[in-house]
Amino acid sequence: MLTIKHLNFNYPKSRFVLKSINLDFTAGNIYGLFGKNGEGKSTLLKIMTGLLFPKNGNCLLEGNEMRKREVQSLHHIFLVPEDFELPAISIRSFEKVQSCFYPQFSKEQFYELIKEFQLSPTDVISKLSFGQKKKVLIAFGIATNTKLLLMDEPTNGLDIPSKSQFRKVMASIADENKCIVISTHQVRDLHSLINHVMILDNAQVAFDQPLDKVSDGLWFGKPSTNDSSEPIYSESSFGGKAILPRLDKNETEVDLELLFNGVLGAPDKINAILNQTQNDERV
Amino acid sequence: MKEFSLLRIGHFIRRDIALHKSTFVTGLLVGIVLIFLFSFFNMIWDKQLSQDEFFGTFGLIYIPMGVLFTFSIFKEFNDPKANQLYLSIPISIPERLASKWFTAAILYTLVYTILAIITGILALLFGVVVLTADFNISSLFSIEYWNVLKVYFLVQPFFLVGAISFRKNRIGKTLLFLGILALVFTLFNFLLFGIFNHNYGLFSGDAVISEAFDKTAADFSALGRWFYGLLLGPVMLIVAYFKMKEKEV
Repeated sequence: MLTIKHLNFNYPKSRFVLKSINLDFTAGNIYGLFGKNGEGKSTLLKIMTGLLFPKNGNCLLEGNEMRKREVQSLHHIFLVPEDFELPAISIRSFEKVQSCFYPQFSKEQFYELIKEFQLSPTDVISKLSFGQKKKVLIAFGIATNTKLLLMDEPTNGLDIPSKSQFRKVMASIADENKCIVISTHQVRDLHSLINHVMILDNAQVAFDQPLDKVSDGLWFGKPSTNDSSEPIYSESSFGGKAILPRLDKNETEVDLELLFNGVLGAPDKINAILNQTQNDERV
Repeated sequence: MKEFSLLRIGHFIRRDIALHKSTFVTGLLVGIVLIFLFSFFNMIWDKQLSQDEFFGTFGLIYIPMGVLFTFSIFKEFNDPKANQLYLSIPISIPERLASKWFTAAILYTLVYTILAIITGILALLFGVVVLTADFNISSLFSIEYWNVLKVYFLVQPFFLVGAISFRKNRIGKTLLFLGILALVFTLFNFLLFGIFNHNYGLFSGDAVISEAFDKTAADFSALGRWFYGLLLGPVMLIVAYFKMKEKEV
């Protein structure tokens, strides 16, 4: 669906934020885009929406260059930015003036989500809190039913019940025709929601694997004393949790936070094990 | 997929009006009050409101108000918090530009003209009753009206480019740029005049600059009108198109 090839980007008079990025986003997946602060997650999402232009390389949505911001490309993409300002009009007026640009927009879905987020169509957006404004935009983004939905730190500003509500809503909208990319540095917020992990580190893609491959190749938990294999990564602060090659162990749930820290600490080891597992499966 | 759809332009105009309704209404109300007051006070001395006087007042408010409205509808474009959503709306750049220009030039002119004429007539009636002024209705077919419109339609695209180009102090920077440009072109005209006419001794003796310019105006008026007309109107719209195309958040 969306392909990024050999992409480089830097802001004027500053170092490269993204270097030699190659990524492929396909329908039917929910991607978690992780990285430390300032690693270029938001920049990448803006490039994917055509809001920033790469210095080299391409960002293509179904073969169309995103930097051209053509109508046929923008019809299929919606970005929920991290920081935004919505107009000082009611939610209903916002829907009326904005929804007409999205051919697949569903009014019913929008107002259902607004209700679910405990908002009213008559609420004036400028009088809402930041978290509530975010809910309006998330609801709108979902209701556009674009093929590609990008969310930049969508859980920032949401309270704890709203975060689980968000996960529930996102899980309910996932389908095989839609591709969702959620960027965050709060990896826990996407627990049990995503099925593909991408991690940016040092301006490059440090990790790009589907979660089922991760759980096939890696084991997460507290290793026992009679474990033969050496931990790839371990953390004393989390009660001695570690990442081990799975080998013949039982499958464990992927600990996203541990995986993230592990990739930042030992990217080569983790990628080598996962690639080895994939090769073994092919053989 | 069509990159120029009148339907999308219509939707975008509707969006702009909905978003800037209060700015639009406030501006028009201020305009109406000012036109009423200026028109009424104008009748105190000579007991009449000539077309010249009315459209002088009209232009005095119509042009600055239109410029402010142009800046207002482009606010989203340079606002880092609003422009991500704004620029990702599925509408092409020619459609964006056409709708903005239509709103700030055509629609604004139509609404403002109708309201100004009605206000002018009310002021006139008030003047007739209170000041026993002469009653004569201003006509839209007068040359004064079309001259005011001509100035606005030439100047507005320049401010449109300013509204797109600058992030902060947009009006100040645009005015400064316009001032510098006017100065450069004055100098340019003066140099041209000197080059073409120095053999005729126009700079010697008592010949003054204003006289020289009068003569130049007579010789080059048609050429100059086209040059500046194109430069301030269509060329500025083309500049605006490329500025919008190159815009990043």
